[in-house]
Amino acid sequence: MKIIGEKINGTRKRVKQAIEERDAAFIQNLAKEQASAGADWLDANAGTAPQREPEDLIWLVENIQAAVDTPVCLDSANPKALEAAIKAVNKTPMINSISMEPGRLEGVLPIVAANKCPAVALAMDEKGIPKTKDERIDIIGRMLEKTRALGIPDGNLYFDPLAMSIATGTENGLIFFDTIREIRRQFPDVHVTCGLSNISFGMPPVRSFINRVFLAFSMQAGLDCAICDPNNQDIKTTMLAAELLLGNDKHCLKFTRAFRAGVFNK
Amino acid sequence: MSKELIDAVVDMREDDAIKIAEKLLETGAEPLGLLDDCREALGIIGNRFAAGECFVPELILAGEMLRQIGAMVKPRISGSGAAAQKKLGKIVFGTVEGDIHDIAKDIVVFMLDVNGFDVMDLGVDVPVAKFVEAVKSFKPQVVGLSGFLTLAYDPMKNTVQALVDAGLRDSVKVMIGGGQMDDQVAAYAKADAYGKDAMAAVTLSKGWVGAK
Repeated sequence: MKIIGEKINGTRKRVKQAIEERDAAFIQNLAKEQASAGADWLDANAGTAPQREPEDLIWLVENIQAAVDTPVCLDSANPKALEAAIKAVNKTPMINSISMEPGRLEGVLPIVAANKCPAVALAMDEKGIPKTKDERIDIIGRMLEKTRALGIPDGNLYFDPLAMSIATGTENGLIFFDTIREIRRQFPDVHVTCGLSNISFGMPPVRSFINRVFLAFSMQAGLDCAICDPNNQDIKTTMLAAELLLGNDKHCLKFTRAFRAGVFNK
Repeated sequence: MSKELIDAVVDMREDDAIKIAEKLLETGAEPLGLLDDCREALGIIGNRFAAGECFVPELILAGEMLRQIGAMVKPRISGSGAAAQKKLGKIVFGTVEGDIHDIAKDIVVFMLDVNGFDVMDLGVDVPVAKFVEAVKSFKPQVVGLSGFLTLAYDPMKNTVQALVDAGLRDSVKVMIGGGQMDDQVAAYAKADAYGKDAMAAVTLSKGWVGAK
């Protein structure tokens, strides 16, 4: 299970303020705490207006790299910001994200191909997020035609089937799990990732209970990467238990070590 | 007024609400009275939602009950009867081009509707030209622009500018709202105001049309 640490995101109020005030210590702390919790990439999203975004994203990358060795995940739909930030990285970054929307295909996909980056790929097109499993699989199939034509290995792609809130359709959980299974069946070399909180949008403020079971069910269906807060104890402990039960924890060592390290302590 | 109907809708008892509405119509109740009851119930639900006591799935169910009861009532009201449902004013609402988020937008449209506005919902990813066309044909007092992403800043600005270019800007007040919006974005887009939630949209709109 891979983790993309989500906390350095300028759409969060406190991070936005840190970016505006150039509060390097704040960003470096977020980088350190996520890296020490086991993040495989650190998402960097400046969340600022298009004109400012390139310099803000570079500033984030430089501060993350000054604090930790974990590679960054450049989170932007703006080709100019991505091109600029990619010159500042010291390790191949992940790119978040490509999709079948025309702007992202033309603007972001060539950057992913030229720099041999792993990339998050959203199962949506110019018509938005489809309702059904079959439509999402169709988009993923069409996207793979494009990526394969550019020589991008399937293993570099982390498809996000895009969970819709259970609040707006009680079948949305099942559609999501079925889509993961179908991706695994048809495209065995790609990875599957997702965020863990969309599923519970609009539900009562005990959302973490929903998010945890969603994570466990998704992992059982074949999810092998998550975009989340790696310091969140609920997520971390659920991930450990799910890995254990799915046979991905040899001799149960990760689990027992985590127990001794106090990961389960309240 | 039927307290029985209002309670059934507020308590989310869909089957009961429908049965009660059917019975009321069969026994000669005033059809428009049923809509008033629904409105009353949805107002209570809206307040509970704003207070964090009721949630999105319940708003959707309440909207569904309103739709069903509305469909029952409709064939029984004459043209003049329908006109008797006086509205506070007209609002064109949509999520701007390039943004496909609908949940929050739907909530705001719902709250505007239950508070007495006639709302034309243009949906999500709405092209600038579609807003202009809707303002021309529907003649609203208020335009609401929704957007969740920072990517929505420029489409908002472009939409307002298009209203200026079409000579329509002075005929409407423009409000914006959504995840990354604030007063600064409203100033950038040259909107009249930013609303932080659904109730703020209602308050702004009521102020603009001169309603209490």
